[in-house]
Amino acid sequence: MRDLRLATEHRKRAATSRSLDNPLREGLRLERVPDPAAFVLFGATGDLAHRKVVPALFQLWRTHLLPHEFTLLAVGRRAYSDDDFRRELKQAVDVFSRVQPVDQETWDDLASRIFYHQGDFADPAAYASLAERLDGMDEERSTRGNRIFYLATQPSQFAEIVAQLGRVGLDHEHHDGGWRRVVIEKPFGRDLESAIRLNREVGKVFRERQVYRIDHYLGKETVRNLLVFRFGNGIFEPIWNRRHIDHVQITVAESIGIENRGAFYEETGASRDFLQNHLLQLLSLVAMEPPATFEADALRDEKVKVIRAIGRLTPEQTRRDVVRGQYGPGWVSAKPVPGYRAEPAVDPASETETFIAARLTIDDWRWSGVPFYLRMGKRLPKRATEIAIQFKEVPHQLFRDSATDPEPNLLAMRIQPDEGIMLRFGAKVPGLGIDVRNVTMDFTYGSAFQTDSPDAYETLILDALLGDASLFTRADEVEEAWSIVDPIIGAWAEQGVPDFPNYEAGTWGPEAAEDLLAREGRRWRRI
Amino acid sequence: MAEDLGRLAGAPEDPGRLAGVAEPGEIIAVGTRASGAGRIEPIEAPQPGEPMLRWLSRARTIDEIEQELGRIWAQPNLMVDVDGERRGRQVAARTSVMNLVVIAQQPEVGERAAETISRLTGRHPSRTMIVLSADPDGPPWLDARIEAHCVLPRADAPETCSELIYLTAGGETGRHLTALVAPLLIHDLPVTAWWPGEPMLDSEPTDDVLEITDRLVVDGSGWSGDGLARLRQLARLYDLHERIAIRDFALVRQSRWREAIATVFDLPEFLPYLAHVRRIAVTYGTHDETGAPGTTNVVKPLYHAAWLASRLGMRVVTPLAPVEAKGPAKGRGGAQGGRLRPGERAPLHRGLAARLRAGTADVSVVIRPVASPMPPGTTLRVELLAERRGSELRADVTAEAENVHVHTWLDGIEALDRTFKAPRRSEVDLLGEALEFGGRDPVAAETIRMAARLVAPVVQGRAHAPGTDGSSATGADPD
Repeated sequence: MRDLRLATEHRKRAATSRSLDNPLREGLRLERVPDPAAFVLFGATGDLAHRKVVPALFQLWRTHLLPHEFTLLAVGRRAYSDDDFRRELKQAVDVFSRVQPVDQETWDDLASRIFYHQGDFADPAAYASLAERLDGMDEERSTRGNRIFYLATQPSQFAEIVAQLGRVGLDHEHHDGGWRRVVIEKPFGRDLESAIRLNREVGKVFRERQVYRIDHYLGKETVRNLLVFRFGNGIFEPIWNRRHIDHVQITVAESIGIENRGAFYEETGASRDFLQNHLLQLLSLVAMEPPATFEADALRDEKVKVIRAIGRLTPEQTRRDVVRGQYGPGWVSAKPVPGYRAEPAVDPASETETFIAARLTIDDWRWSGVPFYLRMGKRLPKRATEIAIQFKEVPHQLFRDSATDPEPNLLAMRIQPDEGIMLRFGAKVPGLGIDVRNVTMDFTYGSAFQTDSPDAYETLILDALLGDASLFTRADEVEEAWSIVDPIIGAWAEQGVPDFPNYEAGTWGPEAAEDLLAREGRRWRRI
Repeated sequence: MAEDLGRLAGAPEDPGRLAGVAEPGEIIAVGTRASGAGRIEPIEAPQPGEPMLRWLSRARTIDEIEQELGRIWAQPNLMVDVDGERRGRQVAARTSVMNLVVIAQQPEVGERAAETISRLTGRHPSRTMIVLSADPDGPPWLDARIEAHCVLPRADAPETCSELIYLTAGGETGRHLTALVAPLLIHDLPVTAWWPGEPMLDSEPTDDVLEITDRLVVDGSGWSGDGLARLRQLARLYDLHERIAIRDFALVRQSRWREAIATVFDLPEFLPYLAHVRRIAVTYGTHDETGAPGTTNVVKPLYHAAWLASRLGMRVVTPLAPVEAKGPAKGRGGAQGGRLRPGERAPLHRGLAARLRAGTADVSVVIRPVASPMPPGTTLRVELLAERRGSELRADVTAEAENVHVHTWLDGIEALDRTFKAPRRSEVDLLGEALEFGGRDPVAAETIRMAARLVAPVVQGRAHAPGTDGSSATGADPD
């Protein structure tokens, strides 16, 4: 039913897509500046807004990608004057801007478009005055009724804010062209039930095409390159299947701990914080079928299909195929670090996992029998995100006498740091005998293009302003992803108390994670 | 450290200026050779974004050039100090993404081009050849200055390396550019030819060069006279070289104007008017008090009209010709009259006018000068008038400092008012963009072809043919 609704909406949108009709737009894609709009930022005094959203807006402004009429209306509980608030944001931009130093004149230019609106998120009167203020801005600042509501608040407030926006009619798109969009940060729900509930609450107010759910991983340059790599090259697709691929490894390693986010992490853990979104997103991009077009829904349809094909784990399978871990004290980057349970705002007997490794299967024609190993951990030896495609061994080994065993081919896509693509193959060692050694062909992004890639938030905010939802997750996608994570968390609850901490900070996670592969004669790629 | 430098094959004081010090067969590295270690090291700690490692050599034949390049890259164990802490760093693998051929007619142009390119090294690791011919009547000779640079974008990022070969060809050699350039191209990588200044687009050597080129980069706004003769030649290249992509900086610079104009018709209520445009008027600045046609380069204003005409599927009925009316243009009131801003004056001549056809209706195109302190040839205003079912839409796009403003009136009532930032892009930015998005651009091709159609056809095949005796490669200005 939902699919049907999405399909109809998609058709409607295609019909109203203006850029297709305007012949002057042809070839202007790169220069496209979004419509004048009011950017209403909820949670503007919070960490996310300061670290990511506002620096990204500044960068977009600096590069002239925001419309002249752009207006940022920040909504927060605390009392600020416009000027005080601008000063506070300036301090944040000074610290977090990607390009330093921050040019004062450019900032002043943007700051003159920033306003503060005080109000409690639960107070209906605050929304009534917000609506009034936005109407006023349409007049004074020519924002033409276009509004984007960006929810950078605590997840628990999403539903409330959306409902309140609906109550004062701020969701309503006018027939004279003004659009309304809502951007919702992750985590979207904390399990399947709450995600469905939140989708329902949001759906009561906004149509799906107005909703932009952020998973910032999708905005990363190399993740987007994954699509180009797969579908912009002809040579990989023919071997991208069970006949040639032995298994796939996806690693997201972080050397940092939980960075003062103890309270948040206690509630989420690695499975909710990473597996449900980033890891499954990466998996779906690696495994999806080619979409027919590069349009938002064509792309997302394929992603949903592949997530739906992932085998749901029974409690027994969870015990066997999923490993959870929590770090104890140790050494990272030559510095001693405390264990998770000793971090601020963390329960000294916490059972929250900071590491997860899982063996998933995709039950479809392309991937049947190919395991996908996913792992994510905090306080691992280094920061690295990588997708490794391990190809099958040659069917018949000709060079058995070689001093080193020829290894099967490997294709590794590094997402961070040192974005690039590496292909490993065997080559003959120069000399009289036949010795095979593995060599790598390495493409590093930085060596072919200077690495001035936009930050994920810049990409995503601009896309949302332009109305391109390709890199945002759709309601059904979120729900399908939760339906994979839910049984795992449920099985853990039944398994009883885990023997945490079970890995030392600065190591590659618990032993059991190694066993997960070792028992099938495989091993994690050394990163 | 600086004294050590002196011991190295007479390396100059300033590492940025290496020209003319190396003898053939000698590699100069800007760095110090640690005693006995056989290493080439940089003088100072790397500065992110600065060309860090440079080598220089010279050669007299194509074979020698290849040999020298091989020798440069074979330098072992390149070490770099990062934050005072010695980390091994070796230029192990180089990535090149393109070949760039610069055709320079004067040494100054070549030097300026080299300067621009050196600032792009990090963005576009490439092999660049700057080709300059000299002494066309003397004996044939070749001199090549070979430079290699590696840039460290960040201390922890891989270096990007570029090669620059400065080729000066004397005598007969200078007339065989292709023979010079072709053997030095890196296989299988796109070839971009950048021709700053006044390109001789209809000479035989040029045809040969364009045969091996994927993209041609020029700047039409700098061409002498009104620039139209060359523009016609430029458009002809599309017929002669099927594969070629042309990037004219003059056209690229106008992208924000096009964005501004397109925005008006993003509004569903205005979109239908596009099919009913009746008048396109472009005003440009001139320093010539008379404003006589031919004195100021009008490539940029012409491109505005040509872009609109080609996007809207118009046909040329009468090409551009000087407007006959005498005396300075009088403001006719409203937005489309020649409203002048402070510092602007209407000159004697009224510019050029053409008649086009959209469907069955006539469209008038006017390109007119205004004496203005702005650089000559700068577009000051684009006006559009559309009439549909008895109602009139006027759009007026003007430039002011770094902004482009668009104002729209529907039946005289102000309907839309928007401002776009349009900062002036430097040559480095433009070349960088040209190299980045260098593919075929159908919109640009149609615009350039339409511009040529708008310019009256020339009776003879070649408009301003430079000497066809074969001496044209050194290029005195043909206009």
